[in-house]
Amino acid sequence: MIDIAGVLAANFLYVILITLGGVLVSGSVHFVPVGGAPAAMAQATGIGTGTVQLAAGAGLTGLVTAGAMLNVTDSIALILAAGMVGAMIMIGVTMMVGNLVYVYGVGVPPASAKVDYDPITKDRQDIYVSQGTEGHGLPTVSFVSGIIGGGLGGIGGALVYYSLMSIANGMASADFIGLAAIFAVGIFFVNAVIPSYNIGGTIEGFHDPKFKKWPKAVVTSLIVTFMCAIVSVITIGGL
Amino acid sequence: MSAGGSGGGAAEAIPQNKLIAFGAAGGLIAIYLSYFMVQLAGPAFSFIGALGAICAIVWGAAAVRRVANYGLGTGVPSIGMLSLGMGIVAAMFGLAVGGIAGPVVAFVTAMIIGLVIGILANRVIGMGIPIMEQSTTEIAGAGTLAIIGLSTAMTGTFMFDVILTEIVATGYIALIFIVAGIAILHPFNANLGPDEKQDRTLSTGFEKGAIAMVMAGIVSAVSAGASAAPTIVIGLAIWYVSFSQYWNYVLRDAYDVVGTGLLPKEEEESE
Repeated sequence: MIDIAGVLAANFLYVILITLGGVLVSGSVHFVPVGGAPAAMAQATGIGTGTVQLAAGAGLTGLVTAGAMLNVTDSIALILAAGMVGAMIMIGVTMMVGNLVYVYGVGVPPASAKVDYDPITKDRQDIYVSQGTEGHGLPTVSFVSGIIGGGLGGIGGALVYYSLMSIANGMASADFIGLAAIFAVGIFFVNAVIPSYNIGGTIEGFHDPKFKKWPKAVVTSLIVTFMCAIVSVITIGGL
Repeated sequence: MSAGGSGGGAAEAIPQNKLIAFGAAGGLIAIYLSYFMVQLAGPAFSFIGALGAICAIVWGAAAVRRVANYGLGTGVPSIGMLSLGMGIVAAMFGLAVGGIAGPVVAFVTAMIIGLVIGILANRVIGMGIPIMEQSTTEIAGAGTLAIIGLSTAMTGTFMFDVILTEIVATGYIALIFIVAGIAILHPFNANLGPDEKQDRTLSTGFEKGAIAMVMAGIVSAVSAGASAAPTIVIGLAIWYVSFSQYWNYVLRDAYDVVGTGLLPKEEEESE
């Protein structure tokens, strides 16, 4: 039988770090401009797909880049940086290609309906919003917000994976990597869904009024990820 | 965006309690039966694990249908991914610490995590769905049983040392994750709308479960403890029966759809 208390006491730092990683993921989702189905028809600002898919894409890219970095170094700073950059590139490319489609394919100017002036470029927004829509494309503020969100999500995903990979155990390395990766994916998906229920469909970025709801998702993620962290640390540490 | 649906409770012919019994008891019994039959009579009986997974998938699809009918505010797929996210954590934990009691430990762990998520979703996030707590509990349990059932069908056992080397280290766990996830979230997502009917949605659940079973059968071809042929053949048979049934339901529900023709000429010209 596994010495549960002993494993938890020896790895309590990693329980905390996994929880922190989950909370980062949950918070990061609020930065990513998600437009869902309306944005796919250029009737809302953001990327035309759901929160969960985007968060999962960014987080899993962060996980892959962090895993690649873990092959060559043990430095937590480098691994987190690799995860962060990987996820930022993924979200950045997604938004750029999305904007190309909106501008040159659909023929709409990127414009936000939530603010009259772009908080970053100070460009006027409201006169460019087509009638009957909630804005369209990805204006500068949403793009910058998305990059920040991708970065935070990548750090979160990398932190969860790094913490799981740091737990002492007696498994063969192939088994260990597989188990740590699938735990990271499981924890990541839970933390991608919770904020999407908080947001409820669409969000433009940090200038969107819905952004203020983030503490609710973070509190929920904190509790849920803490439970998942204890469960996964016991599993990996006990083998 | 919105999940569609009426924003109220879903009409149902089969009460949810029967489906809970079908999924939970059927799933657990089939997983244990598969394990003991493989021990006693040989790897040909590994297919029973996949039957357990189908029971769990149908139960999960019914629970998704009930909760997503209220309108989750985001797509239906999110709750399927939530189910498998919780399920994978609980399944690995339960199998690792539980030994022979593994599936039960995993099932209970999943339902505890699911219940906490449901309570937080209503109390903290404020989703205001009256059956949220019950549904996330059910969905987490169904996801876990689907994962364990398919793993058992692939390897012939749910002992963690075998699962670890043959399912997790090889990456088949990712296949199980996505196939079981889609099987749970897709039935309602495919049938939602004002004419959604419980039997048609659940027949899609059976059909998607059968596809997952066939895939488990293909994977089990490389496992010493499981036999591929029975799983694939029985999976295909279930797929054929359930898809025919689904087709019948589609014809039944669609017989009075009439064409409205193109837009009137004047309206086209007035633009």
